[in-house]
Amino acid sequence: MANHQGGGGGGAGGLIGHASLPPPIPAGDQTVWADAGPLIVASCSELQDGELIHAENFSLFAAMSALEIMDPKMDSGIENSGYHSIEEAIENNIAPVPLSLDSTLDVQCILDVIDHLFSCEATWHKGHSLAQTVFSCIYLLRIERTSPHSLLHSYCRIMRAICNALVSVVSDARTNEEEDLFAMAYALPLKGEGDEKCLSILNSVEETISRQLRACRAQSSRKKSLEDIEPLQRNPDLEEGYCRALLCRLRFRKHYFHVFMCMRKPHGKGLELARKHVALCLSELSYMSKSLEFLRSLPYGSFQDDIESSTTASGCKPIGFDASLNSTLSAPGPPRATHILSWKKAVGYFQKLLHDLDFVCSFNMEPVLEDVLHYVVQFQKLQPDLVARTHLQILLVQDGKLCGKDSFHDVISRALALPELTADKEFQKNEFIVQLGQLIVSLLKILCTNIAWQRRKLGKILQDWGVLSLQLEMAFKREFGDRLNVMVDENMCMKVSRRLLIWTDEHTYWIASRFLTLGFELELYSPNEYCMVYWYMYVVLMRLMEKMQMRIAINSETCKRKREKKKDHAKDPARDGSLSSSSLLIHCYICLCEGLAMMLAALHNESKAFQMRSPFNGEEERFSQHFDLLQKAHVPDHVSYYLFKESTVHARISGVVKHNYFREAQRITSSLKGSFAGDPNRMLELQQLEQVAEHNRIALNVINQVGADDPSLRVSFEFTHHPHFAMAVVKRS
Amino acid sequence: MQDVHSDSLVSGNSGGDGSPLVARLRKLLFRRMLVGVSDGRFFLGVFHCIDKQGNIILQDAVEYRSVRQSSSSPMEQRCLGLILIPARCRSSCHVECSIDEQMSLLSLNK
Repeated sequence: MANHQGGGGGGAGGLIGHASLPPPIPAGDQTVWADAGPLIVASCSELQDGELIHAENFSLFAAMSALEIMDPKMDSGIENSGYHSIEEAIENNIAPVPLSLDSTLDVQCILDVIDHLFSCEATWHKGHSLAQTVFSCIYLLRIERTSPHSLLHSYCRIMRAICNALVSVVSDARTNEEEDLFAMAYALPLKGEGDEKCLSILNSVEETISRQLRACRAQSSRKKSLEDIEPLQRNPDLEEGYCRALLCRLRFRKHYFHVFMCMRKPHGKGLELARKHVALCLSELSYMSKSLEFLRSLPYGSFQDDIESSTTASGCKPIGFDASLNSTLSAPGPPRATHILSWKKAVGYFQKLLHDLDFVCSFNMEPVLEDVLHYVVQFQKLQPDLVARTHLQILLVQDGKLCGKDSFHDVISRALALPELTADKEFQKNEFIVQLGQLIVSLLKILCTNIAWQRRKLGKILQDWGVLSLQLEMAFKREFGDRLNVMVDENMCMKVSRRLLIWTDEHTYWIASRFLTLGFELELYSPNEYCMVYWYMYVVLMRLMEKMQMRIAINSETCKRKREKKKDHAKDPARDGSLSSSSLLIHCYICLCEGLAMMLAALHNESKAFQMRSPFNGEEERFSQHFDLLQKAHVPDHVSYYLFKESTVHARISGVVKHNYFREAQRITSSLKGSFAGDPNRMLELQQLEQVAEHNRIALNVINQVGADDPSLRVSFEFTHHPHFAMAVVKRS
Repeated sequence: MQDVHSDSLVSGNSGGDGSPLVARLRKLLFRRMLVGVSDGRFFLGVFHCIDKQGNIILQDAVEYRSVRQSSSSPMEQRCLGLILIPARCRSSCHVECSIDEQMSLLSLNK
């Protein structure tokens, strides 16, 4: 008998065990808590090794996912700070207000808090939870406490308002599917009464400090100060430095807040102003960097262990932070080791973010869909983080319209070069047009996500595009079937459905080519697979160019007719010109892809290089693993592993040399320089393509001269010049 | 999934089942169990499984933690679902039962 001493009996209280402390949780109405400890010890000793006592509904598989208590990697409730709650920490003076009774130390400590919050914010943007980063600040968690301290209070308010604004914009746009920690705010006090006044509070604090700065300058130049202003702190030698350090930090916050407020204005109305604030933010950031020297020279505070990776400019430990206090709030995510970025890295992060936002703000709000797609791809080349990507997305798709202005049937009718359809109600209601509009919206949203997620999603939506183009084709074959025959005249109907089909196909191939090239950026292909990847790219790009050229032909036909009618040489020829140079650029890609695929195949055939000898999966399996999603969507139709084998099995180096694919690519790049002269990004790419073509042409000749079967020959492929087109490096050992 | 291990892992017909103690412990399955751990927290959940080492799995568990260090402090709670409490950090273990059955259920004398 080892249990059940009375503890109050019956309902609340219940019975308790003998040795252990009384359980503070009441048992049910007619029940008691009985100590099962001794029974467990005794029974377990009679169990066999590996034997379990469990219920019928037990599943080992499900049990694997049980949260292990007291495991620091799984149990976020594990006790590690010494304090059980924020209140207890505050009672123990972890986050005093003011931070110090000595006014100089107080300012120094506030600067450290501001800097650490800045590093925390960058860490949050980089994928850690808000609770473990910015909201590890006790001042932010209990913002009312800071109200007697106007400087600290104003900074905390605006910090919270910014976090709240970013969480809401990201969760609205849902660009964060994979980076889901960003928007997890659970029980954090993100909103508070009066936060909308944060700017005016900050402005008045800024005003005070700038007066203090003026006063101390006047004093130092021995002019009598006109106003009697109380200094920021007690040491007159440090007054100017402290005022400056604080001012740039406060002004950075102010402009940073403005950037996001301006960017959220509908129809991109605030973009111009946002760019101005971005520029101001960047200049304040450089003042902040300059303040580092001053702050490091001060004899206060206890320095962080590694001053170079310190999270504050001064290198001192900030007070008022404890990430473990609210670790329970980060559930259901397991607790993660959060390494806060160093202050210097955080400055670098914000510079990058602001440049990315500047790129977003430079967006031309009178867009043609082709230009938008090109723009987003260019933007993704900057490898922007979530915050910038989200802002681009909310700009692109607002209220179900492109840039909040043009409904997607307008966009489509313009893309089809049939602007007269815009007002046509039947066209707008057409099932295909509605579906196509939805597909474009999801395409634009997907293009703003991170590239890993983007690739996955692109592969998936290809099916939808494929199905739609199949349906269009069927409708078209039924001779402008019953779906589109509501249009004004049959001729028009035929025209629309034909153009719609071409346009849809073109974009399906565009998505496929983006899917394939992203594989290079994500390093998903091994050198042994380059051959099949370039071959597939070649096939896809060929179709893309074909469709593009069909569209150009139709457009120029329309233009000619219009010109004859109106004798008007307006915009269209210019648009056509850019379209044909885009198709020429694709031709250049095709030459490179074909050249690389054939070169790799020839090396494979002649020197037995780049062969797959994996014990796990053969070439055919790899082919289907890489291109499964494309094949399922029939992009393109009738392409199979056997076709790939058939077209590469006879490749020989001499044949590849004779074909001169790379020479052709070079020829195209030089002819394109004129038409891309105004676009620095495209000029840069042309240069890269030229270098790849030139290198590969020479490498090919060397291989041909030495003989591909020469055992001393070593060929490898590198991406030194272009992210998607490999460059052959030939060595002899 | 269940079938796979019901042969190998489940105590079903193997040795320990013959023991009256094991049978008694088995009777506690599906009851509410309150487990205290070494850092002062308590977990209340449905007793789901135990192994020879004394590691316990609770279903639909709720964590209780005191807001302050003092023993009379109020407690906050949150739901955790399926949890595994390793024997090494278990400091107490209680099961819920009616006043009548507690003697027969838990006594070790028989």
